[in-house]
Amino acid sequence: MVEYVGPLSVIFGVLKQFWPVWVGLIVVLVPSFMYKKRLGLYGQLFDSGVGIAGVAICFFWLFSAIFAAQIAPFDPLGQFAIMKDSLPGAIEPASHKVFLFGGDKLARDVFSRMVFGSQIVLIIAPAATAFALMVGITLGLPAGYYGGRIDTFLSFLANLVLAFPVILLFYLLVTPGITETPIPYGMAGLFFLFPIIFFSTLFYTRFKNRPDRLYLLLGLTLVIGGWVYAGLVFNADPLGIVHIDPNQLNIFVAVVFASSPGVFRIVRGLVMDIKTRDYVAAAQTRGESPWYIMLWEILPNARGPLIVDACLRIGYTTILLGTLGYFGLGLAPESPDWGTAIKDASRLLRSFIHPALPPTFALMSFVLGLNLLADALREQSMKD
Amino acid sequence: MNEAVRNPAAPILEIENLSISFFTRRGEIPAVMDFSCSVQPGEAMGIVGESGCGKSTVSLGIMRDLSNIGKIVGGSIKFKGKDMGELTPEELRSIRGNEIAMIYQEPMASLNPAMKVGQQLMEVPILHDKVSKEEAYKRALETVRAVRLPDPERMMRSYPHQLSGGQQQRIVIAMALLSKPALLLLDEPTTALDVTVEAGIVELVKGLGKEFGTSMIFVSHNLGLILETCDRITVMYSGEAVETGSVKDVFDRMRHPYTQGLFRSIPLPGADKNSRPLISIPGQLPLPHERPKGCNFGPRCQHFVEGLCNADEIPMIPVAGHDNHYSRCVRFNEIDWKAEPVNTRKNQEPIKPGAPMLQIDDLKKYYKVAANEIFGGGEGRVVKANETISFTARESETVAIVGESGCGKSTLAKVLLGLETASSGSIKLGNTEIQSTSIDLRDVKTVSSIQMVFQNPFDTLNPSHSVGSQIIRTLEKFGVGNTPADRRNRMLELLDLVKLPRAFETRMPRQLSGGQKQRIGVARAFAGNAKVVVADEPVSALDVSVQAAVTELLMDIQRQNKTTMLFISHDLSVVRYIADRVVVMYLGHIVEQGTTDQIFSPPYHPYTEALLSAIPIADTSVVKKHIVLEGDIPSAMNPPSGCPFQTRCRYKSQVPGGLCDIEVPPVRNLAGGHQVKCHLPQDVFDKMEPVISFAKDKDADPGHGAPGAGPGFVGTPPKRPRGKTASPEASAAGGSYEESEASSRLRREDRQEDRSETGERDLGETEGRQVGWGSQIDDVDAPSPFESTIDERAEDADKKKR
Repeated sequence: MVEYVGPLSVIFGVLKQFWPVWVGLIVVLVPSFMYKKRLGLYGQLFDSGVGIAGVAICFFWLFSAIFAAQIAPFDPLGQFAIMKDSLPGAIEPASHKVFLFGGDKLARDVFSRMVFGSQIVLIIAPAATAFALMVGITLGLPAGYYGGRIDTFLSFLANLVLAFPVILLFYLLVTPGITETPIPYGMAGLFFLFPIIFFSTLFYTRFKNRPDRLYLLLGLTLVIGGWVYAGLVFNADPLGIVHIDPNQLNIFVAVVFASSPGVFRIVRGLVMDIKTRDYVAAAQTRGESPWYIMLWEILPNARGPLIVDACLRIGYTTILLGTLGYFGLGLAPESPDWGTAIKDASRLLRSFIHPALPPTFALMSFVLGLNLLADALREQSMKD
Repeated sequence: MNEAVRNPAAPILEIENLSISFFTRRGEIPAVMDFSCSVQPGEAMGIVGESGCGKSTVSLGIMRDLSNIGKIVGGSIKFKGKDMGELTPEELRSIRGNEIAMIYQEPMASLNPAMKVGQQLMEVPILHDKVSKEEAYKRALETVRAVRLPDPERMMRSYPHQLSGGQQQRIVIAMALLSKPALLLLDEPTTALDVTVEAGIVELVKGLGKEFGTSMIFVSHNLGLILETCDRITVMYSGEAVETGSVKDVFDRMRHPYTQGLFRSIPLPGADKNSRPLISIPGQLPLPHERPKGCNFGPRCQHFVEGLCNADEIPMIPVAGHDNHYSRCVRFNEIDWKAEPVNTRKNQEPIKPGAPMLQIDDLKKYYKVAANEIFGGGEGRVVKANETISFTARESETVAIVGESGCGKSTLAKVLLGLETASSGSIKLGNTEIQSTSIDLRDVKTVSSIQMVFQNPFDTLNPSHSVGSQIIRTLEKFGVGNTPADRRNRMLELLDLVKLPRAFETRMPRQLSGGQKQRIGVARAFAGNAKVVVADEPVSALDVSVQAAVTELLMDIQRQNKTTMLFISHDLSVVRYIADRVVVMYLGHIVEQGTTDQIFSPPYHPYTEALLSAIPIADTSVVKKHIVLEGDIPSAMNPPSGCPFQTRCRYKSQVPGGLCDIEVPPVRNLAGGHQVKCHLPQDVFDKMEPVISFAKDKDADPGHGAPGAGPGFVGTPPKRPRGKTASPEASAAGGSYEESEASSRLRREDRQEDRSETGERDLGETEGRQVGWGSQIDDVDAPSPFESTIDERAEDADKKKR
């Protein structure tokens, strides 16, 4: 039969398994705290307990994702028949390693799955948020700045997307019927264009009169952008590094599609406020182009609320991913992501509660960390 | 009837050695130290000082409304003999709003936008006097009548947003008066209002003391207002009262160098840009943690004597021979108060205007306001922002455009700069017509030759980019210099030009004070050798002493570059000082234009006359004719028929045949290019008297004759229970105390960003913060009389480069 270790050993075992995270946290947080005066907004986070907690939790999960292979004792997909539904602290007879949080109904190590699950969440959630930001900013700037028809049109589109029930939208986007059509790839192609457009415009407007800098930066943007674009949208990366599963691409596109209208509205509102400032008028009176004003005069001053929003939005996206996983949408059924894990565990909740707790707690703590971070950032930006 | 009026001998309010500190997380910041004053029944006391001097803290301290971090740490406030410090919260509540009432700067923020005015007014007697609703309504109506609002019944039924700013402020005053308070605290009550509206409020406030026997404490940064409203005045500097006495004594026989500095830096009628320029106070207000030992004003004072002024803390010293006049200066007996400061630049040659640079002819700007955004239906209305504007500005001439809010002066600026295009008419810049070329179609030369200096220093620089990079970007845009290194050099030269140290290149705008930011704004405007500079109230948001420095700087650069300057302002005293010619605008029309002398002496357009009489002048020898305009400025959406000014004109009855109602008056040419848009017959014009005149008997100062010997007085040291400096951390942590002050009234500040007090407090905050980086604002904000001239500076800079 399976042997068990005591609860204390489980706790110490977990702490021990996370050693790369602890090292990482110390390496990052201690210097940050010591030099917080020189680190600008990031440093100011260390002035409040909330900020420190937020930063610590976020870094915890970031390092977990980075060092997942070192932390997890088992393969997240590996099944050990004897360990089926085993309780926390069970010892796997073959390797004599402990199933710290027990095994799930397919006899996989819950702890390892939780750790590897963080990888999926920490790649998709921030990346999707970043793309949503790009799309929202690129469309929100002209809507707020020009107003009028452009604004009416873009706001109408945003409202349309916002009015559509999100879950239904996801169902549609990830149903096999639609997945097989070129729609997801078409949408991906469209969304992934935005960062390239954004950065090209950014550099072009600033360095129009300075060709030396302009060609370098534009070239870099186009090469890197084109490379990533080829890899993500056409799955044709010549170097074979950038690659995304069709499943994940769907999820990605769906999340970007659902959250960019929110960003759009925030940016539009901020721009409408900031464009009345004298420095914008000063830029206009020296003959700056509208896109220069939007990208270099207005956008930097909208960064505070946008950073806060991005933090919160990563949290929402994480929950969204959990929800999607829970509904079994998108990701592969055996994927270790937290949503899928919660779904799997929930079926047996009455008999075994332990497989459900770690992914739930992980999801909750990560979102909590992001929210704390956002709170602290908001506090600090209010002081400025 | 309140008790105080029956017993006139006892003062209503007695403040003795009051000290107030703010306690932040990292330490204590003394905001007010050793402040004493007493207010007699029916008397008005003015508190004046620059931003961050603690004047608002005093008024909040009297109400004991210091938010949770402010505490009274020493001294006492006695209201009708009761110590405010010992009252319980219940007793305080029954006094606040009942016996002591307060009026703030921003009327809209003092009124509840969700309640009708009548209900808000009725609350006061219902709460404090427990009267019935009917009785409360009766009293409210009476008071609304007493503050001279038209149609009181309708006023009572309106919501605050349906009233104009002036009407709202009158309602706030009515609310304060309802409980028949013994003491009224007014904190910059007119700063947010237009000049002609301000004049009405001031007249109302002045009558209060007589009518209701109310005592007043009037907090303001405007010396002219204090002169018009108050009996006695206290000048504050860096948390201390530095001088107190009757208005007449302090204005005419001041005995503190700071007070004198203030008076020398405001444009009084005697000042002249060529023969008697303004003299600003060098340096800046010290932060709470860097207050010097001894006299706080010492480092900025030209009468400073080492070992005497900074030997010990200085008490308030009575001035012999003056009634109740105190000064916090140990040397006032030795100083020759009539002496001109050394090294004053004098008798510059008046500029000679050259060829016409900017010719505006029959310019019109109409806006169409669509009735419905999305479906585009409906008729849409036309707002006539500018109507038949014609004037000419010559090379190196300063033309002032004067008018109140909504007169179309900002629209004119926008059209000039190409942010809008004209509806009809023409603008010629040099020889090119630019009226219908918008900014993106103008070539670089045109763009760089007409530039603007903006009003709000806190908004004029982009907070995200360093000072240097913002100027370099402008140079890049104007095609100045061929390489980045060239442009950087030019940028450093520009910094020299505006008398800022070259180290400012890497500073972020938040590290600069308001005056310094405005200098960068000036540097930017002149970056491309602008031919025409439009200055939109460039100094109105700055502190008095800084105002003078920036004004002088602007004029110096203008003189050097032979630039044409359009100086947009509502402040006629600055205009009189700086302008060669004046254009007066009202509701989109130019109602009068001419040389400065022609505008400031009769015959006047009736509006100009009212405007002139409305400006508060801080000079006791000035006698003004008193004209208060009825009502408010009509909306440009719905202008009156005929003459735009006919609704408020006091001469309307003297025009035969009711022409004012029917026809827009033609432009009439009076002598010497003086133009007036008015129907009045010539004989009425001829009979007009000057609005501002000097009293003949400008009295010789009796106290001045012989400067006494020896130090004035060394008495008991002032009572400062907690010292006077804050720890640097404390200043850095909470910002300075101004920040706390600001946060306690955040709502008001949010609304009124572009007015002086707010801006200033903003500035205080940034200054306090800046200490955290260990960098100190260099003391350059105000060029002093001791400083070298611009030319010398430029030479120095040249030498440095070589």
